[in-house]
Amino acid sequence: MLESGFCKYVVISYGHNAVSSDSMTTMLMTLGQDEEAFGHFGATGSYALAAQRAMYEFNTGPETWKHIAVGQRKWANLNPLAMTYNRTMSYDDYMNARWLVEPFRLFDNCLVSDGGRAYIVTSAERARDLKHRPVIIAGLGQHNPADFPQSATFLAGPTGAQIAGEAALRMAGITRDDIDACQIYDCFTYTVEITLQDYGFFKPGEGTDWFQGGTIEPGGSMPVNTSGGQLSEAYFMGLTPITEGVMQLMGRCGERQLGPQTGTKAPENILCSDNGGILQCNTTIILRRA
Amino acid sequence: MTMYAKPIPKINEDSRPFWGGCKVHELRFQKCNQCGHVRWPPAIICPECHGKDTVWITAAGHGRVYTYVVYHIAYHPGFKGELPYVVAVVELHEGPRIFTNIIGCSTEEVYCDMAVEVVWDDVTTELTLPKFRPVK
Ligand SMILES: [Zn+2]
Repeated sequence: MLESGFCKYVVISYGHNAVSSDSMTTMLMTLGQDEEAFGHFGATGSYALAAQRAMYEFNTGPETWKHIAVGQRKWANLNPLAMTYNRTMSYDDYMNARWLVEPFRLFDNCLVSDGGRAYIVTSAERARDLKHRPVIIAGLGQHNPADFPQSATFLAGPTGAQIAGEAALRMAGITRDDIDACQIYDCFTYTVEITLQDYGFFKPGEGTDWFQGGTIEPGGSMPVNTSGGQLSEAYFMGLTPITEGVMQLMGRCGERQLGPQTGTKAPENILCSDNGGILQCNTTIILRRA
Repeated sequence: MTMYAKPIPKINEDSRPFWGGCKVHELRFQKCNQCGHVRWPPAIICPECHGKDTVWITAAGHGRVYTYVVYHIAYHPGFKGELPYVVAVVELHEGPRIFTNIIGCSTEEVYCDMAVEVVWDDVTTELTLPKFRPVK
């Protein structure tokens, strides 16, 4: 649309009053069909089914997921916009939180938020004249394995992230080693693990080691979800990860800005993911500093 | 008579033979006459070969737990008295995987690939739910 001249600027937005209305709960509670008769509801239950199968197939579980919940919270504590800005989280806080749908405890679940996000897409040529340093969409990949959760064969991976990630890197003309940070759709902690695993950052089950020692945290070698993400900043669907990727590359992230001040690499390429249904679709976008 | 307090299946023309089977304690699934694939959920064409020639078969009621979760929160008030309870995806020997509950054991005893068999729960005069228990 932009290249052909149909439009000059496209606003992509998301807004929701998910806390102050019952619309999110209503949507989640009516997702299912016959499974409600057995007491199975919403996204937490189905992602927990996926996580349980992953625990069985490879070495994962709360000892891996606690690094994701706690690591992202550390980023949120640097982000005044985050819903959890003033609340720190320790590994004990994670482990002592109540079960919701086992194997998921409270902090394996994302937040529910009132608010919104928007970003503007235009041609690279027009972007050069704008106030802020632009960010280039360098690569894009999509893969949608689509099956119903009860018949899905991808709950423990590979999810759509594998093929979508390869396609996005190929289009961007880079390899995984060129990625400086990731903004991963994180409806649940396990979603972060399986998505990074399917991108190839570690082999199945090696996440337990990979996340050790603050890999994804401030000061870490592969920062992930640097706003706090959906787990600790706010849930605005795919716009939580992508707007953070854009803001980081523009250098507009204040205290949490990637680079020397957070003991991380100044980013050139950031990988962002979006995910739909119960791991049924994946979109991967590589953003690049202009 | 007290009202049944839990959600009931959203039965449609595709799934009516399945739920009708449950009432007489039979697990019925569609089988493709072209490629032999046994499918769930029901559909007018085979997801494997797109064949339309379909026959309903009765499964023996044996399978394994593909995956499961333990609910510690009641998202619907009808399940408050059941906590904690197990929701599982059971893979039947004939192939289909269905949502169900695992009963007849503690929540800690359930594991992936556990052998299970169907047990019928006549919850109302109109509705029977296929649940599963460990094979002794
Ligand atoms: Zn067929």
